[in-house]
Amino acid sequence: MGRIWKLLIVASTYLFLYVPIIVLLVFSFNTEGFPSPWKGFTWHWYGELLHSTHLWQAFLNSLIVAICATSLSLIIGVLLIFYAAQGGRTGKFLSLFYGNLVIPETVLAVALLSFFTLISIPLGLTTLIVAHTVLGLGFVIPMAYARFLEIDLRLTEASLVLGASPAQTFFKVTLPLLRPALIATALLVFIISFDDFILSYFVAGSTAQTLSLYILSMLRSGVSPVVNALSAVLLVLSSFLVLVFFSLKSRTRIF
Amino acid sequence: MRSIKLTNLTKSKHGSRIIDKVNLTIPSGKFFALLGPSGCGKTTLLRLMAGLETADGGKIYLGDRDITDLPINERPINMVFQSYALFPHLDVFDNIAYSLKIKKLPKLVIEQKVFKILESFHLVDHIHKLPSQLSGGQQQRVALARAIVSEPDVLLLDEPLAALDFKLRERMLIELIELQDKLKTTFVYVTHDQFEALTVADQMAIMNHNGDIEQIGTPKEIYEFPISSFVAKFVGTTNIFSGELLHLDTNPTIHIPDLGDFSIDLPQKKSWMKEGNHVAMSIRPEKIFITKKEVKNFSNHMTGFVQSIVYHGRSTQYNILLKNNLRIQVFEQNEEHFPQEVIDYDNEVNLYWQKENVVMLEK
Amino acid sequence: MKSKTTSHIPFTLGLPAIIWQIVFFYLPLLFIIVSSILKVSESGMIQGITLKKIFLFLSPVYLGVIGSSLLLALSNATLCLLIGYPIAYFLSFTSSRFKSFFLFLLIVPFWTNFLLHVYAWFFVLEKEGFLNNLLRFLGIIDQPIHFLNSLFAIMVMMVYYYLPFMILPIYSSLERLDRRLIEASLDLGGSWSHTFRRILLPLTLSGVRGGFFLVYIPSFAEFAIPELMGGDKQMFVGSVVSHYILGEQTGSLGAAFTVVSSIALLISVVVLFLLINKIMKRVRA
Repeated sequence: MGRIWKLLIVASTYLFLYVPIIVLLVFSFNTEGFPSPWKGFTWHWYGELLHSTHLWQAFLNSLIVAICATSLSLIIGVLLIFYAAQGGRTGKFLSLFYGNLVIPETVLAVALLSFFTLISIPLGLTTLIVAHTVLGLGFVIPMAYARFLEIDLRLTEASLVLGASPAQTFFKVTLPLLRPALIATALLVFIISFDDFILSYFVAGSTAQTLSLYILSMLRSGVSPVVNALSAVLLVLSSFLVLVFFSLKSRTRIF
Repeated sequence: MRSIKLTNLTKSKHGSRIIDKVNLTIPSGKFFALLGPSGCGKTTLLRLMAGLETADGGKIYLGDRDITDLPINERPINMVFQSYALFPHLDVFDNIAYSLKIKKLPKLVIEQKVFKILESFHLVDHIHKLPSQLSGGQQQRVALARAIVSEPDVLLLDEPLAALDFKLRERMLIELIELQDKLKTTFVYVTHDQFEALTVADQMAIMNHNGDIEQIGTPKEIYEFPISSFVAKFVGTTNIFSGELLHLDTNPTIHIPDLGDFSIDLPQKKSWMKEGNHVAMSIRPEKIFITKKEVKNFSNHMTGFVQSIVYHGRSTQYNILLKNNLRIQVFEQNEEHFPQEVIDYDNEVNLYWQKENVVMLEK
Repeated sequence: MKSKTTSHIPFTLGLPAIIWQIVFFYLPLLFIIVSSILKVSESGMIQGITLKKIFLFLSPVYLGVIGSSLLLALSNATLCLLIGYPIAYFLSFTSSRFKSFFLFLLIVPFWTNFLLHVYAWFFVLEKEGFLNNLLRFLGIIDQPIHFLNSLFAIMVMMVYYYLPFMILPIYSSLERLDRRLIEASLDLGGSWSHTFRRILLPLTLSGVRGGFFLVYIPSFAEFAIPELMGGDKQMFVGSVVSHYILGEQTGSLGAAFTVVSSIALLISVVVLFLLINKIMKRVRA
């Protein structure tokens, strides 16, 4: 495979990935509502961004849901790992959680919507949090458990022999060793929840609007430079989070 | 009292018996070695003492106390693992202080004890390092320090020197002996290396492949007076001759086919020592005197041809071919730079030994 | 192996996870499966078992929708594979200085809001969008091309979105590869394509398989992209489901259609899985 070909494919793919984003960013500074030709540099749209209360409400909603879902799935997941660490029979139970990867999100969303309707739970932030926690558990438990299995058995044995109870061993040895993986997983779940669209579309109802849904409504009403500005901001945010993830990746093997 | 007594201890894993009704008493305050080939179950025995495994049957006593069902963390027994098992996320200080922190000792007391041990183990320079930044020898010392800082009644050591190179191992063995002498803690040292066991032990036990204990005694007793051919062959090297017991009452002799009759000593009468029985005679290579000359005052003599010569530095090993096609080993200490007698390949040599220096074993 | 320190207290701690998963994952799924065969009256009373809803969706129209979704998923996965494998290879074999950078570049879009990507492509492909304006500016075209509302737009967006899902598993299995095997193969005189066929492909096949299904399964039920990029011209499972489910009367129909399509998906996954396994065996031989 000639080096030229290789370079060509890679370059064009990365271009393909980034051209829309770059264009978006560039035109977020355009004076005129895009996409007409370049008129002039302005911060105007960013200003409008700051003043849009709807946007901030949606942003806040997404944030709340993401934080709650991440925390919940982490706590529940760690508790399960704790149970496993005490020698509990988790083998069969763990396969329960691999279903999340096999079921398309749409199917899960439909199922949850029907279920919530059946038991008459009003749709809103709560149902969103519940749904996203399910999503999160599908990541937290396989990843945390995989890392847990990698921990040298001798370390927990050494701790017990030195006089620590099983619970103390978990908190002083197991958990610290799990921490990098847990943080990386938490980051992943947070992003997935924050960016989520499908579950939100079905399960949020009319009251709660997440960021994704807000952008959707803006999309439906046509293109607006404010969204460009929003994209730029979110891109910076994502880049930052990826950087954090990378600094953790050197200490843990997720991939 | 820091003695350990195992009565009728049994353990099976995956359907196969690892140890079966083992009885063993480890005396208090002594350096005890448990020697055996790989896979014989000696590590299992150690783990049972620590509580990391539960026995299927039998009992374990610490002094007078029945600790068979006592949880791991409540036993005043600590262990040094073969892989050290240092906590990778804690530095040297925190690793060593771990057991003390669990006991919730006051901070100052902990610092005092840890620093004292750091000094005697020459680890003060490394106090804030993580295990990954230490050499093998340093890690081993941290593991040791971590296990003894809380002054346990018994210290279990699972082949702790296996990962070290030869010179380091020699040095650590001496340090371990001195340490045990000072602390008077009961040490139980598991190894497959008979050199290590012979060096450190006050008392030792030999386990065979089936998980049974063949012999218990001091290193000297075990080396000089093995009670089975397994022990004789496993601890050190030996030459085994098979033959028939004759003239038990008058002049005990072993008749070895094609080689002749040799007089033997029977200091202890055993049930299998009957006239005409087939027995084995074990004689260590260093107990045989090799020479081309004729010498008088030895009770036994045979001849052979030198097949190969191996130079070991302080001794020379001769592999001799005997008349009955048996090959034996003879060690000779290299006492002189320029030996008066030179023994070479294919030389015919005389082998002499005293009848007191052999051990009779049941076939 | 553990001594008698296992108490029953931890079990109650492990319970929340299991309960949560059962209540909010398996129960809802069970529910829609069951409800698709239930006959429910106007007032919500269960009247019995019916297969009417199921058969409704086995008609040509709906089967066509399912079929086009399967096709979409398959072509998406295949395209992603063809583009993704070289990228993964490139990523894995670059010098380490740039490797993190390129990985970073790959993951950032992955972690940016999905809707924003849709918007970005809108921006580019719209009638008054960037691409059209550029082409008109360059004089290549006179009238704006309707990129959007087409299968082309859908495919572009699908590949755009799902590419990282394909690249990362392949990348990770490439990373785990022992480089010396490739060196040895080239050293022993093997050509590049030979090395690829005999060494690379067999050993990374599990990563390929993982990536393939990671793209294939979600693509099937994808509804946002077809709806936003394809408008009303193309009908896929996702759009049908979302229309029915969110409609007042058709809620249970939506559930039933979801179940039917899921079964179709499951069958296709099993078939593909066996097929791929067969190919894996052949390649590894």
